[in-house]
Amino acid sequence: MAENKSLLGRGAGMVARNKRYIIWFYLLNLFLGLFGTVTFLTHARTVLDHSLYADRLLHGFDLAVFGEMFARPEFGPTASSGLSALLFSVAFFLATALFLPGVLQGYASPYGLAREGAFTSGILHKYTSEARLSRDEFFRACGRNLWRFLRLLVIFAIVAGIVSGLLFAARAALLKMAAESTIEVLPFSVSMATLLVIFLVMTVIRIWFDLAQTDVVLSDQGAVRKSIAAGFRHTWRGLFRLLMSYFVISVVAGLVLFAGLWAWLRFVPRESVFKAFLAGQATLLLLLIPRFWQRAVAVAYYEENIVPVVALQPIIPEAPPVAVVPESLVPPLIPPTPIAPQES
Amino acid sequence: MVHYEMDARYDAAKHTIDATEVLTYHNLTGQPLDHFPFHLYLNAFQPKSTWVRESKRDGSRDTTYDKWEDKQYGAEEIKSFEVVGQGDLTSQLQFIQPDDGNKDDKTVVDAHLPKAIAPGAYVQFKIAFHDQMPETQARAGWKRDFVLGGQWFPKVGVWWHGAWNCHQYHAMTEFFADFGVYDVKLTLPQYEVVGASGVEVSSVDNPDKTKTVTYHGDDIHDFAWTASPRYKVKDDGVFQGQMGPVKLQILMQPAHWSQVERHEKILKETLDHFERWYGPYPYKTLTLVDPEPDSAAGGMEYPTFITGGTSWFAPKGLLLEPEEVVEHEFGHQYWYGMVATNEFEDAWMDEGINEYTQVKVEDSIFGPNTSVLNQWGVSVGERELQHLGYASVADMDPIAQKAYEYYSFNSYGGITYAKTACLLLTLEGIIGEDTMQKAMHIYFMRYRFTHPAKEDFLKTIEEVSGKDLRWYFNQAIYGSPVLDYEVLKITSDPVNWYEERKGKKKEDDKNLVYQSYVSLHRKQDFVMPVELEVKFDNGDMVREHWDGQGRWTRFGYEKKAKIMSAEIDPDHKIQLDRNNFNNSQTLEANVKPAHKVGNYWLFLTQWLSQFLTWWAI
Repeated sequence: MAENKSLLGRGAGMVARNKRYIIWFYLLNLFLGLFGTVTFLTHARTVLDHSLYADRLLHGFDLAVFGEMFARPEFGPTASSGLSALLFSVAFFLATALFLPGVLQGYASPYGLAREGAFTSGILHKYTSEARLSRDEFFRACGRNLWRFLRLLVIFAIVAGIVSGLLFAARAALLKMAAESTIEVLPFSVSMATLLVIFLVMTVIRIWFDLAQTDVVLSDQGAVRKSIAAGFRHTWRGLFRLLMSYFVISVVAGLVLFAGLWAWLRFVPRESVFKAFLAGQATLLLLLIPRFWQRAVAVAYYEENIVPVVALQPIIPEAPPVAVVPESLVPPLIPPTPIAPQES
Repeated sequence: MVHYEMDARYDAAKHTIDATEVLTYHNLTGQPLDHFPFHLYLNAFQPKSTWVRESKRDGSRDTTYDKWEDKQYGAEEIKSFEVVGQGDLTSQLQFIQPDDGNKDDKTVVDAHLPKAIAPGAYVQFKIAFHDQMPETQARAGWKRDFVLGGQWFPKVGVWWHGAWNCHQYHAMTEFFADFGVYDVKLTLPQYEVVGASGVEVSSVDNPDKTKTVTYHGDDIHDFAWTASPRYKVKDDGVFQGQMGPVKLQILMQPAHWSQVERHEKILKETLDHFERWYGPYPYKTLTLVDPEPDSAAGGMEYPTFITGGTSWFAPKGLLLEPEEVVEHEFGHQYWYGMVATNEFEDAWMDEGINEYTQVKVEDSIFGPNTSVLNQWGVSVGERELQHLGYASVADMDPIAQKAYEYYSFNSYGGITYAKTACLLLTLEGIIGEDTMQKAMHIYFMRYRFTHPAKEDFLKTIEEVSGKDLRWYFNQAIYGSPVLDYEVLKITSDPVNWYEERKGKKKEDDKNLVYQSYVSLHRKQDFVMPVELEVKFDNGDMVREHWDGQGRWTRFGYEKKAKIMSAEIDPDHKIQLDRNNFNNSQTLEANVKPAHKVGNYWLFLTQWLSQFLTWWAI
């Protein structure tokens, strides 16, 4: 348990030291979300802006009026609003795939350097508190790993698709059996229990590929199959620790969502659009943290078990061409002047 | 008119019933009768029946019939059919299909008698039959170890308006039967807990581990029963009605026992409202059944016997269940049970009128706008829900048509239930709420224990209100025009709009005289007079009346104030208006409602993208 705590703690430390990633991803999430909402908002304004009936959505929330709004022809097909939201969700997903390598590199950077530094110069504090990946290094990691990540994504989709397909098929069979029971709550219990099992299994797969992604980035591994194999081995070895860490973080995410919605409903006045916006955005911002925390846990575990980390080569500007001069033309070296001892 | 004596044995393992039926029919039709049609409703649950065919085509309440399963099969087979004094006529029975000619439909059988039954005479039928109950469909059948015995016996048609009225069983129809007396013996395993229409007379244990429970029902037109080994019973509730105590028996699923008080409370409150508003409940019992979860047996009405519907998770603010269901089904004791309209031909008169009274009763008990849901800052009222249901199918069907002639199940529901409720709520606005309530009371008292038709109801309202309402009924009930009035345009411009405004002080603006116009538009074909309320920015308010005859009209004002808003039907009396959003218009846009719902959408979009990303990358 102490080890778990340590893994969680170190992951939390990484997240805390790299808050900027969360902020940037949040802004990206918000930005794309706003684009995804434009269609809906435009349609809603067509129906609501000049109608007194719309007050029933402002001072309270009348679900029937909300339904009527969707039913109005001038609102347009609901599918168009939904599709727009979905497209921008996919855009966020792809953006995450693009920028994630930089994040992993960033998480590893201070730690990897810190460990090396601890042996060489003992300046742990300096590295852990100040060292951070430069912008160039961040984007270099992103670009360098883009296709690797896409290949990983395809393999992940195949693995997760097969496993989840089998699990959901088994779940459907169990639910069908439970539906025959005279215990009314049994289908619900079975449903929840099987969802928990599916969640845990999928989390294991997620851990596996998180470690594979970490390996791809931190060991600059071009052959993703090797990273997948490494990820699998290390997932298997540290399964309990990793699963517990991920599970705890998922519970935290659930609590954050619950608390955010509760606070929204409890404290935000019905007609206050701005406060509702703030409450929602605060919840969404906080919801990003757990996933980054899980990533950081994967990096921490990786560094603990799959050393050495290949540090990024610094970007060195190419030296200008040097003219080759025949040796005979080189003037003889002047021997260095010895330094006289200082008198005290 | 009819007296049914039945002796039935239920086989809980096979879900079958073997029974004998002695039907005594008193010919009060005023003419000789030489044939008698009988409903065999359970034959509807067969792959080629009209019921299944229509369910596949138009949708149904419970089953999509994507795939036929053996357990869906139901049957009602007459083993023998004897007419006392005229012999065994079993071989002469003929299936008939008066509605659609589907030769594979066996839901109506006709018995031709060698000798006609004279007016005023009695005839007795002795029938032996065998039922195969389906897994619950259309609120009949079994589910696990539960059974609901609905429409389970051969039931004679109704001589109505000079002819037999005995329709086939359709996906969107319910039932129609004569009032009479029922004496029913049910034999079933001793472990079963039983409830039924009427009054339990006796319960006797038999040597073969069965028991025979006997029921008697007076002045009812159907008999339903239920059994399950797991019911928990609360039968100590009594409602002191205007005609004496009514014993309330509640059969609950064990997992729902904590909700039994809620069931009893809403039952008593509903009874109280109906007695005060419409008339007395004359029966001595009322049985409320909480049916097997996940069965298609919930939300059904039979005389003195209703099924509710709830689940183990039913927070109190979520009034859809059980309160809403219980209230609705109890209402049918009046609009179906006693005022026994023809559910095949005038479905709106039981479902729709009941929906209207449901809105009234629930508004009274739970408050307007919150009678269905009042939880987590979200609310819905029954009134609003009915409007939503109606608006989606407003132009699909007229109300006054046979239930099986509706375009689809959605249209049937939206028109029969919701449009009727909306048109009666609108009628309140025309004749006044008190007058409407008085009309409903007189209608109930005048037509209880009869089979009234459309005009009986409509004429009662005209009579009580003293108004000729044909213009309204012809559009709202007999026709299908849609009602939609809108505020088309509002403008306010200075009278001296051509004068240069630059350099003028704000104080001068206060003295500006504005020429303002409000244009109203009748978008659809339904014509109805409407009120208009115009508000000005100096606090003035003007009310106008438009007869609504033209396609549009315009009101003009010259005032030292600009229009702020114009609203048609400011008192919200016209529930039948399809689109409530265009009933008003403000000069300035108020973006807050759209931004509020837009914020919800934004949250969902962002959350969706985070969730997707969480799992996939």
